[in-house]
Order: sequence, then C-alpha cells, then structure tokens
Amino acid sequence: MTPATAPLGRARLSAGRWNLALGTIAALVAAYVIMDLGAGGEGQAQFINALTIGAIYALIALGYTMVYGIIELINFAHGDVFMVGSFVSWWLLTTIGFSGAITDPLLLGVILAVGFVFSMGVMGVVGMIIERFAYRPLRNAPRLAPLITAIGVSFILQNVIQVGVSNSIVTTPQIIPNTTLNIGPVSIRAINLFIIVLAVVLMAALQLFIGRTRLGRAMRSTAIDRDAAQLMGVDINTTIALTFFIGSGLAGAAGVVQGLYFGVTVFTLGFYAGLFAFTAAVLGGIGNTTGAALGGFVIGFIQVIAAVYGYGVWSEVVVFTALVLVLVFRPTGILGQQLGERA
Amino acid sequence: MKYARMGAALAAIAMVATACSSSSSPSSAASAAASAAASGGGGGAVVNVKIGIELPMSGGEAPNGVPTANGVALALDQIKVPGFNVTINQQDDAVNGVHNPQQGAKNIQTLANDPTVLFVVGPFNSNVAQAEIPVGNAAGLMQCSPANTYPGLTKTWGGVDPKTLRPTNPDKIAYVRVATTDDLQGAAGADIAYNIAKAKTAYVADDTQTYGKGLADVFATDFAKLGGTVVKRDSIPGSTTDFTSYVTTLKSLNPGYVYYGGVTTSGIGLFRLQMAQQGLQTIPFGGGDGISDGSAATKSSFLQIAGTAGDQNTYSTVAATHDIPNASAFADAYKAKFSTAPGAYSAAGYACAQVFLQALQAVGSGVTDLKTLREDVRAYVADPSHSYDTQLGKFSFDANGDTTQHIISYYGFDATTQDWKFLQQRDFTAKPLF
Repeated sequence: MTPATAPLGRARLSAGRWNLALGTIAALVAAYVIMDLGAGGEGQAQFINALTIGAIYALIALGYTMVYGIIELINFAHGDVFMVGSFVSWWLLTTIGFSGAITDPLLLGVILAVGFVFSMGVMGVVGMIIERFAYRPLRNAPRLAPLITAIGVSFILQNVIQVGVSNSIVTTPQIIPNTTLNIGPVSIRAINLFIIVLAVVLMAALQLFIGRTRLGRAMRSTAIDRDAAQLMGVDINTTIALTFFIGSGLAGAAGVVQGLYFGVTVFTLGFYAGLFAFTAAVLGGIGNTTGAALGGFVIGFIQVIAAVYGYGVWSEVVVFTALVLVLVFRPTGILGQQLGERA
Repeated sequence: MKYARMGAALAAIAMVATACSSSSSPSSAASAAASAAASGGGGGAVVNVKIGIELPMSGGEAPNGVPTANGVALALDQIKVPGFNVTINQQDDAVNGVHNPQQGAKNIQTLANDPTVLFVVGPFNSNVAQAEIPVGNAAGLMQCSPANTYPGLTKTWGGVDPKTLRPTNPDKIAYVRVATTDDLQGAAGADIAYNIAKAKTAYVADDTQTYGKGLADVFATDFAKLGGTVVKRDSIPGSTTDFTSYVTTLKSLNPGYVYYGGVTTSGIGLFRLQMAQQGLQTIPFGGGDGISDGSAATKSSFLQIAGTAGDQNTYSTVAATHDIPNASAFADAYKAKFSTAPGAYSAAGYACAQVFLQALQAVGSGVTDLKTLREDVRAYVADPSHSYDTQLGKFSFDANGDTTQHIISYYGFDATTQDWKFLQQRDFTAKPLF
C-alpha cells in the first residue's frame, strides 16, 4: 500500500470537513440557546456541564470505536476498563497520600501528570492482556464467540474490583482545587476547564497519531483489509494490541477524570458509562474516531438539556430515542463509518 | 456435641437464675424464660425453629441491613422461649450492593420453603416489600418489617388498595411493620424545613423509587400546606452519577431548602457532594430515613459520601422513636456483642424479633407441627387485639398491620461527632402537624 492510497479514509472526511465544522458550530449555538431558554440565567454553566460530561463519554467512546473499527468486535468490557481505571487512579493518589485539594500549582501539575501517565499506562497494559488472552484466540471464530467473551470479561473485571477492592462506593481524592476561573465573560470551574482541555488534547493527539504516523497507517490499513495489510508486511498482532493499548489508555484517562470530577467511584460504574459511551460511538458512526467524539458530546448535551427542562427522569429515553432516529435515517451514524470501510 | 450444647444451656439457665435471684435488673422476658425453664426443665424435646432475616446486607446497603440484623441476633441472645431453640436463616436482597426487589421475592420463597422458618424480619426497602408481600401472603408466612415506610404497603394510598398486594388471601394479613409511615415522615420533613430550618421555599427531588417518590410527594404537599413554596419538583433516576446539571438548575432557583426523597444508594450523597462543589452547602438539605445510615465514618453512608462540606446543614428523620426504653442498657449490650454503636433500626429489628418471640410463647406451648406453628404465629400477630412490650416501647398492630406508635425522630448533622444528632421526636397521634 503506497502512501498515495493510504489516506483513503481521510479523503472522505476532508470532503465534508467544512460541513462538519459548520454543522458542529451550528449545533453548539443551538444547544446553547436551548439551554439558556430553559435554565433561567444558568445557561452558560449548563453548557459547561454538558461539555464536561460529554468529554468523559467521548474519551470512553473512542475505545469502543477503535476496537470495532479494527476487529469488528463490540468490546463490552470497555466500560469496565474505564471503571478499573478510576480505581487505579484512586489507589495511586491515596497511596501517595493525598486526600484533598493540592494548592501548589507545580506539585499539582506533577501529581496530575504522574496520575494520568500511570493510570493510562496500567489500563493500556490491562487492555492488551485482555486482547491477548480473551480475544486473540477467538479472532477467527464466529462473531458471537468474542462478543460473549467480552461480556464475560466485563463480569470478571467487575467481580475482581467488587471482591478484591470494595463492594460499595469509594470516595476518591479531588486534588484539583475547587476554584472558579473568570475568563472574559466566561466563568468556569478549574476542574471543568481541565477536563474539557484534556479531552480535546487527547482526541487531537489521537487523530494525529492515526492520520500522520506509520503505526497509525498500519492501524488504518488493518481496519480496511486485515489480510491485505498482512501481505503488505503489517504486523497484525502488534497493530491490534496497540489499538487495545490506546483505547484502554483513553478509558483509563476517563477513569482518572471520573475520580477528580465526581469524587467517587464504584464497581458498577462501568455498566452505565459503557452503555452511554457505546451509544455515543454508534451515534457518531462506529469505527469513526471523530464520530465517537462527536457522539459523546451529543449525548452529554441531550442529557443536560433533558435535565434542564425537568425531564431528567426521561434522559435515558431521550438518548436512546435519538439513537434510534439517527440509525433509522442514517444507519451508519452521523459521520458514517470511517476506520472500518468494510462494514 | 449434643452433650456440650446441653451443658451450655444448663449453665446459661443457671446463670439467668442466679442473676434473677441476686438483682432485679434483667428484663421481664429473661425472668419469664427462667421461670419457664424451671417449670419445664425436666420435660419434652426442644423444637428447632428459625426466624428468617431478609435484609440488604452487602455493598452500599450494609449500613442499613447489618445493624438491623444485629438487633435481631441480640434479641435471640437475650430472650429464650422455653421448648424452642430459635436460630436464624439469613438472606441478603442486595444485588451488586443495591437492594433488589426480585432478589427479595426469591429470598421470601426460599424462606417459605424452609419449614422451620416461622417468621421473617424484613425487608428494609419499600419496593422490595412490594415484591415480597404477595409471596409471603401466599405462603402464610408472617413478615415484620423494621423499616418500611411506604404507606401503600398496608393502607389505601394513591387510590390503590393494599389488597392488590395480597392476591392469594386478600383478608389474611401476613405483613406487619414497626416503623410508621411516610405520610408522617414526609410531614416531619416539612416540619423540619419550615419550622426548624425556617425555609420558605424548597426544591424537592426523588429517586423515582416507591419509597423516595412517595416521601417527596408528601413533603411537597405538606410543605405547601404549612405555607412554603415548592420551587421545583424533580425526579432523578437512581442510576445517575452526574447531578451537576440538576445542581446548576437548583443554583439558579436559590431555594431555602432542598428535600430529597430516596436512599443513599440512589446517589443522594453524590447530589449533596456536587452541591457542595458548586458552593451550595449553605442551603439546608433534608431527607428521610433513607439517608440516616450512620456517621461520616461509616463506609458508603450518606454522610461519608457527601463529604465534610456537604454534611453541613443536613437533616434526616427516622420513622421510629428515638427515646427507646432502657436506651443505654440496649446500647451497652449491643456494643458488647458487636463492638459498634447500634444503627438507626437496630432497636426496630430487636422489636420485630420480640413480636415473634412473644407470639411463639403464646401459641407454641406443646405444638410441634411446624406448619401449624407458622400459621398460629401469623394469626397471633395479625390479630389487632394483641399488644407487645418491646425495645421500641409498647404498641400493637392495627387491622392493616401498621404499628399504633406514630412517632418520628428528627436528626441534624453534628460537626463534633461527625454523626447525626438527635434533635427531637414528635408523636403524631398526640400532636398532629395539621
């Protein structure tokens, strides 16, 4: 495969790049107006709430979509990888000995960097181990077999945490001080700003990695045609393992964010988070990394808008109705499938 | 083995007997046991029977179920019924750390299938009771809940006749409770908000479950009746972890009080924590007995999850009397056995066990057929003419199976002990709110 044919997937995206950008901006403006009308003066704060929860869903959704794109497996254990990530971060921070906010900016930066690198690394390795022992032996088995295995892995992770760590809610240290920053007319809590920026940076880095590097090219070619890529000299096992490492690492990052933002974690957390993130991936177009990110934010906005208008109890209904509508009128999701062209 | 047990029993009888002769401190039940043991000591075989315990015991529910079950175990330790050896068959209705109605119904079936089980203490949660009452009714197995407060379990509520919960034998009561109901607990919550916290406006939310929604509805009605205004009424699913958008809405409404009907496992502690994160801990916050689940040091209790800032200005209620008879003796005995302080419903668990033991003593003499015993115990407890002298005081059950003791205890957070502090209790029979 020559470099000229490699960006096949990107060609489609670049054709619609302006449409996508304009569409996103229009949707954000519409969302803001809707929130401001319903939120009685707190529209801006609600907008930030939606961006934040959307960013967390997006980080988890990326792992679903990457794994689906490359081996067409819906990795039902992914939500639980996120949950384990939140426990790894909790373990690290409490072991180092932090329980509250760190006011020294330098120390805070170092601890955050250590926390994220450690949790993402550990979860990346966990993801690779899961792939090596649970999915690789079944790579050529009928589709149903790895799917059931994924559900099994999900239960294994839950039970390991439930029995081995804690069977109830665990309070995690919130090391980012609870301060509100005023940037021009925007007033935003430090933690919200941090999460949104972090998610955008990680997503941009992922796009660059997939689009611009040799390993990223190997991933894209494996997604398009595994056999052909192998014949061209791509090491399939390494590439798939790498995909699991990155996807699970991003879920690990979302786990750290969960602990920092909400201050709690529990072993059942992965189920709902995974369900919404999976929905986000499908909504955006499963196999498409941009779509997964977009889908995450869409779900965040839907949930918050439902709550603003007093229909919070219906938020799950609204989210899944939106999913059904998108799939009926656009079966490949909002942005279509990009990474896995075959599907 | 058998001889060892007999020896131990004789030693215990001897100890009780000496205690009786030396002082008058042991309870009347203990002396009754001693005198009965003296009269029937030489006679018939001991019948092995069981009391079922059906409570949420694991995960986030442990702060609810464990202290309540301990109350039952303590009662069995302290009170003996001559001719019977009462042991426990314990079931847990928590699945993944959260109470589960289907599991509860399954547990009642399991207990009903054990012929030696004559009586059940439990459940803790009202939605679990809704699933269990039909099963227990069909089996004719009497259940005594230490903590259920949803009114519709025993009386017509929201236009629904409780007989729909007893399809097999609509006129046979097989469910009683020692906790009073949420029509009073919600009123007590409104009383706290309006008269103690002096709030004029309130934001009211619930966790969409049987108990939480019912309680929040009563609060909203009664708060308005007292003269307050409900600025918003929200229902938030129990699976929620991200409450930030609700809290932001609340911030814009700036209410004088927040009332949340529901249980801690539905995320009420998280709601309060996220309120504190947005700087709203100065707004007083109240809930029912669903959040009275132990001090800030208790694992997964409301106070622990809400955090140091969130704990400020919080109130809760318990649907039972706080001023129990011989409170310090009870607390000491509990502490000696379990090395912790009793929980909010430990005395209620104890009282349920006392109801059973009194019924067994009354109907059990000479009866060895377990099926007859089960029905006789049920009929005895269902009969409203019987009254019970228990750890909660004296009460009887009315024709619906509700306790005649209509007392709600009020609690507020105390920063020095990091625990709920008893404020006052109100007897709604003697002093109704309206």
